[in-house]
Amino acid sequence: MIPAKIENVFIQVTTDYTGVITNIIAGKFAINEFILQELIYDSCPFLEGTLDALSLNETFLLEGMVIFSDEKEFNVDIELFKHEKSIDVLIHNRTNVYKIVDKLNQNRNDIFFIKREIAEKNIELEKLRKIADKANEEKSRFLAMMSHEIRNPLNAILGYAEMISSEKLNTKVAKYTKTLASAGKNLKVIVDDILDLSRIEAGKLALVSEQISIKKIVKNCKNDFKHLKTNEDVALVFSTSKKIPKFVLGDAVRIHQILANLISNAIKFTNKGSVKTSVKVLSETETEIKLIFEVADTGRGMSKEQGLKIFEEYQQNELNDNRIHGGAGLGLAIVNRLVKAMHGKVYVKSKLHVGTSFFVEISFAKTSKIVTSFKQKVIKEKEVNLKGKNILVADDDVLNQTIVAHILKEEEVTTTIIYNGLEAFAKLKAATFDVVLLDINMPNMTGEELMQQKQDFSSLNANTPFLAVTANTAKEDVERYLALGFSGVISKPYTKADFIQKIKTVFK
Amino acid sequence: MNLKNQLELMIAKKVLLVGNFGVGKTSLIRRFVLNEFSEDYISTIGVRVSKKVVTYKNEAIKLMIWDVAGTNADEKIPKAYFLGASAAMFVFDVSREETYVTLEDNLKMVKELSGLEKITIVGNKKDLLSKEELEVVVDKVSLQIDLLTSAKEDENVEDAFMELTAQTLK
Ligand SMILES: Nc1nc2c(ncn2[C@@H]2O[C@H](COP(=O)(O)OP(=O)(O)O)[C@@H](O)[C@H]2O)c(=O)[nH]1
Ligand SMILES: [Mg+2]
Repeated sequence: MIPAKIENVFIQVTTDYTGVITNIIAGKFAINEFILQELIYDSCPFLEGTLDALSLNETFLLEGMVIFSDEKEFNVDIELFKHEKSIDVLIHNRTNVYKIVDKLNQNRNDIFFIKREIAEKNIELEKLRKIADKANEEKSRFLAMMSHEIRNPLNAILGYAEMISSEKLNTKVAKYTKTLASAGKNLKVIVDDILDLSRIEAGKLALVSEQISIKKIVKNCKNDFKHLKTNEDVALVFSTSKKIPKFVLGDAVRIHQILANLISNAIKFTNKGSVKTSVKVLSETETEIKLIFEVADTGRGMSKEQGLKIFEEYQQNELNDNRIHGGAGLGLAIVNRLVKAMHGKVYVKSKLHVGTSFFVEISFAKTSKIVTSFKQKVIKEKEVNLKGKNILVADDDVLNQTIVAHILKEEEVTTTIIYNGLEAFAKLKAATFDVVLLDINMPNMTGEELMQQKQDFSSLNANTPFLAVTANTAKEDVERYLALGFSGVISKPYTKADFIQKIKTVFK
Repeated sequence: MNLKNQLELMIAKKVLLVGNFGVGKTSLIRRFVLNEFSEDYISTIGVRVSKKVVTYKNEAIKLMIWDVAGTNADEKIPKAYFLGASAAMFVFDVSREETYVTLEDNLKMVKELSGLEKITIVGNKKDLLSKEELEVVVDKVSLQIDLLTSAKEDENVEDAFMELTAQTLK
């Protein structure tokens, strides 16, 4: 590169006080613009008005001024010095420097405008987020409330259905009761599904990582569905690869839920043929094993578009699917979210009128410890008998009371039933009980308020176990109850067996 | 005397336009001097000086209009630019709050640098806001706004420069 000649990057001229050029002293920069005896203002408009204002015998610097020469723009710095009769004007051409500055400036401007736009968008997003958060909160509250409201009467429905079916019935009534019970159970599944989905959405679903047996989970599914199966024309087939390790780390309950949802979905849409569930090993490393679960049916199948939408909430393909097949169409949405939570993949392959296969791929950590052959000590359930036990039941709901009374009567328990928290409080001060079953939402005094005052009845019931009977079964609720001193929670709706089982546990 | 000499002998008044990037200083000058407008944002690098002869109270005045490259709040305008200035216009963008929230401080700074008592305050891009929105902006700005302009739609641009010219003669 040839360095620019120094004389080409500056010019020094002298003017009189009116701006007329009187001398060109040195340099050649923009030489054509500076003509002796002409005004310097034509080439340097910024000097007009400035020259008059200069102070005597002082250097004055003007940076970053624009000059035109040969159709080009130059950025220059000007040094001025005012003598008694003349003014020195030194102009440095700094085009190159300014080229870079130019670019930087442009970049800065671009960034500035982008920043501004982002800031505006962020404000907008923040607003939208707040609205969405609020709506979501409302939704969660609504769901929690509704599920609670639904669970209570549902408990009554299921309880009475169970009670009725244990009576001697004519076949017609037996059939009706069975239908009633099954409808109730379906409703329970839906309520649970809605709750599950909202919990997963709210990020409140915690997956556990414990030693689980995939084979056992599949076996359990098999038992469940055999038990439930109504359509003789559909064969249920289950298989697991021999290569699957005995134990992996995972969440058995949720894996079961994934499979159960896929299988019941397949059964719903298959009139004839089979629903095959299989588990195979997809790949394996030293620490991890990737399994692929497949649920294949010979049902009506679906189109590609349907396949894409199938994992969305409330999605059932045909308008009247809800009516025919029941359910809120949440099963697959739950599967989708559970699989995502496990960092897995779920996809579907289907042919219309041929069948559908759902695939779930999940990686499991292998258990590091080899489980030695020590037999897991099976704690043999010591048979507890409730006969003759003195149990206090506080519940404001007459339907619930009747069910509880019925169940406990069969166990030959001495039951004291009261209608609210205050009465319970009085009873607890007067007598000792073996177990106390407390509803949480009661008038006068809630179950929680009652527990907060437990020192007031500690003389007679210091060691009495308390069980909360409630539909509030969110994790934080249960934790709060346990912290208050409850020994456990019986969640509504319950089956008779659940109910008895829970009470028995406090005697172990 | 020929025209050129007449122009040369006319009194020249130096005025400055200052204000944040992109508020429309260059556009206002282009509109006023050339009656042109462009949507493109060509960042001004360095100080460009435009001339325009205006008639104010029957007197012809040559305005030397300094378009000072965009500055923002934390960048000082070199004091040298103000030497010999007779008036200054502070331009903000009515559609961008950040160009006027610190108006009071900015104005104080310009006054200190220039030694001018009064600075003409102009809110540009009025075409971007509705009448109601403009009222909100006017309320938000604690100082008296001299004119709301639109370089794009040629609204009040002439008046703004006339106000500026009036300032040069005070
Ligand atoms: N809508 C609208 N846009 C304008 C107006 N004045 C300037 N602009 C636009 O604003 C941007 C910046 O203008 P410019 O004059 O370069 O701003 P400067 O940095 O203050 O010189 C350009 O895209 C212009 O087209 C106006 O009155 N209305
Ligand atoms: Mg500009």
